[in-house]
Amino acid sequence: MDDLIYTLKQQIIEALNLEDMKPEDIDENAALFGEGLGLDSIDALELIVLMEKNYGIKLKDPNQGKEIFKSVSVMADYISKNRTK
Amino acid sequence: MRHEVYITPNEVKVDGKALNHKENGAALLTELYRAHIGDYPKFFKMDTLCKLGFVASELLLQAEGAPRFEPREDRAVVFFNRNASLQADTAYQATIQDPENFFPSPAAFVYTLPNIVTGEIAIRNKYFGETSFIVLEDFDEKTMMRELQNAFQDPMTKSILGGWLDCTDENHFEAKLSII
Repeated sequence: MDDLIYTLKQQIIEALNLEDMKPEDIDENAALFGEGLGLDSIDALELIVLMEKNYGIKLKDPNQGKEIFKSVSVMADYISKNRTK
Repeated sequence: MRHEVYITPNEVKVDGKALNHKENGAALLTELYRAHIGDYPKFFKMDTLCKLGFVASELLLQAEGAPRFEPREDRAVVFFNRNASLQADTAYQATIQDPENFFPSPAAFVYTLPNIVTGEIAIRNKYFGETSFIVLEDFDEKTMMRELQNAFQDPMTKSILGGWLDCTDENHFEAKLSII
């Protein structure tokens, strides 16, 4: 799980252009939206694309994102249970 | 005094005075952002046309020295260029080109209109006046002046942040903006 969390942080930094950030700078338990990394709605769409592109996970209902994108660790847990690649 | 900013991949001038820099191309825009602006992380998500317009407008408004970020309806933003949002269009196309690797990027898609940059500048500065982005066949000062004069027909408009803002890719761009 630790490897997946680290890889996921790298993928998020790259996909969302989080300039100057390193995986170590992201607290895997901190909120991704709002107070945490301060991501916006376009970032949420990019995370949906990231999940499909890298892990073969298609979110049928975009509202699922609210739960799945709570934090990097919640996201990693969901990916580990639902990934198809 | 009429303030002007001129930026190309290897040259920066504010009111005719060259600004020191080390980088060139898109890296120059990031260098200018870090050296002179630095409080707007959304900059890093922008395409090059937006970064160019954002940095050029910031340098221009700093040169103007007027109070910033107070809501106003009397300032319009009017830009012109030749290549519309070509770089963003190309970047987005790359995400949908391969049917085997078809992942449309929302972040690339949002910049596939040239007038996104006028909105970014208006939002940043709380401008509620007119904004427009006019695509011309070529740099045509006569047409640009005519369009800028037309913008003043709006009785609310007392000044315009405007001019030429063109970008083909990270190494080919030109901004020539002024406050009129």
